[in-house]
Amino acid sequence: MAASAADVRSILSIPEPSAVPGSSQPRKQPSVPTRKPEGISRELYSLIGPSAPSLVALTKPRLKQKPNLGGGSKVKWHLWIDRECRAFKNSARQDALELRHWVKASAPEDAEYPFAKYNIPPNVFTYSQDEYTRFLEDKEWSKEETDYLFKVARDYDVRWFVVYDRYDYPGGVPRTVDDLKERYYSVCRKLVRNRPWAGDEASKAQMITSYLFDKERELTRKKYIVSLENRTPEQIAEEEALFIEVKRLEQNERRFRKERDELLRTIAGIESGLPDIVEDEGLMNLVIDTKKKKRGSTAMDMDSPSTPAIPASFPIVKRPQTAKNAAFDAANCIIRTDPPTTIPVTKAAHQPAHLRSYKLPVPKAAVAPKITAALAELGISHSRLVMPTRDNIMQLESLLEATTALVETKRVVDKVDYDIRVLKSRLGMRESQGAEGRPGGTEAMDVDEGHDGAEVVGEDGRAQSVLSTRSARSRKHTRRSMSISSVDTSGTATTRAGTKRQKRS
Amino acid sequence: MVNYGGDEVSALVVDIGSSSLRAGYAGDDTPKAIIPTTYGYHDTGGDEEMEVEGSATQKRRSLYIGQNGPSMWRQGMEVANPIVDGLINDFSVIPPLIEHALMDVMRCTPSEHPILVTEPTWNTPANRERMAEIMFEQFQVPAFYIANTGVLNAFAAGRGTALVIDVGKTMASVTPVVDGFVLRKGLSYSTLPQLVHAHARHILVTPTSMRRGVELLPHQLIANKVLVDLNAPPRFSIKEDRVLATTNSWRTWAENREVDEWIQSVAGILEQGWNDQLAASRPPKPYEFPTGYNTYFGGERLSVGEQYFYHPPPLVASNPNLPKHIPSLITDTLRSCDAELRQVLSSNVVVTGGGTLFTGFVDRLVSELTRSFPHTKIHAPGNPIERRYGGWLGGSILASLGTFHQLWISKEEWQEHGKAIVGQRCK
Repeated sequence: MAASAADVRSILSIPEPSAVPGSSQPRKQPSVPTRKPEGISRELYSLIGPSAPSLVALTKPRLKQKPNLGGGSKVKWHLWIDRECRAFKNSARQDALELRHWVKASAPEDAEYPFAKYNIPPNVFTYSQDEYTRFLEDKEWSKEETDYLFKVARDYDVRWFVVYDRYDYPGGVPRTVDDLKERYYSVCRKLVRNRPWAGDEASKAQMITSYLFDKERELTRKKYIVSLENRTPEQIAEEEALFIEVKRLEQNERRFRKERDELLRTIAGIESGLPDIVEDEGLMNLVIDTKKKKRGSTAMDMDSPSTPAIPASFPIVKRPQTAKNAAFDAANCIIRTDPPTTIPVTKAAHQPAHLRSYKLPVPKAAVAPKITAALAELGISHSRLVMPTRDNIMQLESLLEATTALVETKRVVDKVDYDIRVLKSRLGMRESQGAEGRPGGTEAMDVDEGHDGAEVVGEDGRAQSVLSTRSARSRKHTRRSMSISSVDTSGTATTRAGTKRQKRS
Repeated sequence: MVNYGGDEVSALVVDIGSSSLRAGYAGDDTPKAIIPTTYGYHDTGGDEEMEVEGSATQKRRSLYIGQNGPSMWRQGMEVANPIVDGLINDFSVIPPLIEHALMDVMRCTPSEHPILVTEPTWNTPANRERMAEIMFEQFQVPAFYIANTGVLNAFAAGRGTALVIDVGKTMASVTPVVDGFVLRKGLSYSTLPQLVHAHARHILVTPTSMRRGVELLPHQLIANKVLVDLNAPPRFSIKEDRVLATTNSWRTWAENREVDEWIQSVAGILEQGWNDQLAASRPPKPYEFPTGYNTYFGGERLSVGEQYFYHPPPLVASNPNLPKHIPSLITDTLRSCDAELRQVLSSNVVVTGGGTLFTGFVDRLVSELTRSFPHTKIHAPGNPIERRYGGWLGGSILASLGTFHQLWISKEEWQEHGKAIVGQRCK
């Protein structure tokens, strides 16, 4: 901030001169002690003054932070400013070679070369002549060749492929990489076993196992690799086909087992020994689930709190519907649809321009064949619309919807009918059993009670039970005194039904 | 600094190949000096010496080295190349070549820098010892190392284990590299590029029903020419005085260069193997020779690249010493490697060398390899500099590593142990 004349005067305690006549310069305001806020250029600040909108300060473009390379020294703009080229000695070297590199001038002169610590000598055993004669004799290997092997292993850090590649013992028999490995590891094992061991037995055993090498197994493994490599394309294709076949068989078997269980459950009922309640409940859950899903796709999204709705003030781009526009639209058969305002603005919700024929309603895959069959019965082909106008599509949509509802209802009715029949037969069996077997007891009483209920409700009860499967929860209370059939199919946990089931199983 | 493992000691990297000598500072991504290995010379005899710009003189022979060396026409100038089949055959010109690259082009003093030199895998121990001797005795370098181009190419591709396919100007080689070491038993190489070159030359000079044989005259020998129509006989006049004073070796070198130019701009290869129909459907390419003769080359330009991958049985039968083509080199290498390694190597294929910049080469290689190794993965740098100077780049990486500096053969060690240290240190 430049010092003004007023500042100088105040510093030197010269009294402020009264307004200088004839001065063309407007008197400068006494400098306000406000600091220029961050993120606003000096020029802009001097134009708009301290009444800067706070928004400006917030929108400062944040650049990526400069990497801190130079150890926090004040001069960061040039990395080499406090560096010097210095000769260094590498302690990993045996000789006194001095190379020169650039280091920070502040670095200590006699520091250890940072890369010397990576010079890790390979951990290869050595043995004495005495040890060799006592433990390591082998009729296949001479001492000289063993020495040579260990030298090569040390030279190439026990990288076996390289060791094998460079292994060239003059006058020796040709050896495979596995021969070399076997000899090397057997020598190591013997040395570990026979040398005095500082640690405990467990660590010694562990050490020995780390040197285990089974040549036979290694050879078999390599044979497998080779045979795997030598497969012809036909063999590979066959293998894949077989794999798929096996998978299919497994799947078939699983299906068969499931069907058999179901059949058993249906025929033998409780005597089948299969947990039959689970199935019913699962079915019930399924029905509820699909209902939830169905609702979820339309209504749930709208009132779910997690999806933020667009605030009312959000400017929805809308073309003003002037009279001229309306006339134009009508003349050109344009129908404008307002963009849905309640659906959150996401990529998925956005609907790009499309051909109407792309949006022909298609029945759900699960019920598609049934719908097609139902429509075919009426002689309607829904798959091809000759003229997919807006109205036609709406009609087709409503037709499909109606058919779907019809098919769905038919399915449910069939299912419930079937359930009633099964349970009736079961009830009949039970009745006959109860009559001849046990005259008293809770079981018989239960049956009686149920029997009464069924008798009372009669034809009306069946209709009720159909309803109850569709909306089980809401009907819980009314159904409590309903027929047995409705209780068992719905599987809702009414207290009495629950105790009954427990006793039975 | 320790994080990326680099510690630059201003080492120099010198990579000598059949076509060019590359030199530069370790740590750079491109060599600073790239000069042709081929040089021109006059046998002057006695003590008289011709001083020409950009040339180094030697006893009784004046050399013309560098960009203006062989390519500039000089009366009675002979042309020679010290490299034969990838190995240095004539060491007498190696010091002047290196000196030109380091001192005239890079303007640095070799005695102040450690130098890393490259060698092909099939280099002889005598050769590398000679190289060490030149470096220590003539250039007085403080430290020296000689590294294998196979390993360096693998390093340049960022791999320790790789199958390096290197196609240069005169040699094609397949080298298995495991953990930074070459498996010498798995190496296979051949003079395949020379065969391809000879084939291309044969195509050009042989007249066909469509066109006449091409006269491979370099532009240095042509005084003037006239624009002629497609396939029309060229109208040009030759610099008669020059033709008379041109040596055979220079003429051969210049003609080879014309053939190479043609290969590089016109020749190609079919990606999926030879197919007459497919070859005919490819668009022909126009080419104009220095004489002004210009024509379109159709199927024949594609047959050039085919030589890399397939040799017709009659050719094999008539020529017992035919160099092996690339697929057989790869097969040889993989067969001699352990079964366990084949999988690793075939999934780490590194393609390098200027010869692989041949149009369509890599695509064809991919299709050939995937046929026998479905899981193969090929690394071929898209940057032509990286592809051509992969060996140098690997050397640049290696010599700038902090952990590498313990491997240098220092002058002290050289004086103490002599030549034996080279074989001991540079494994």
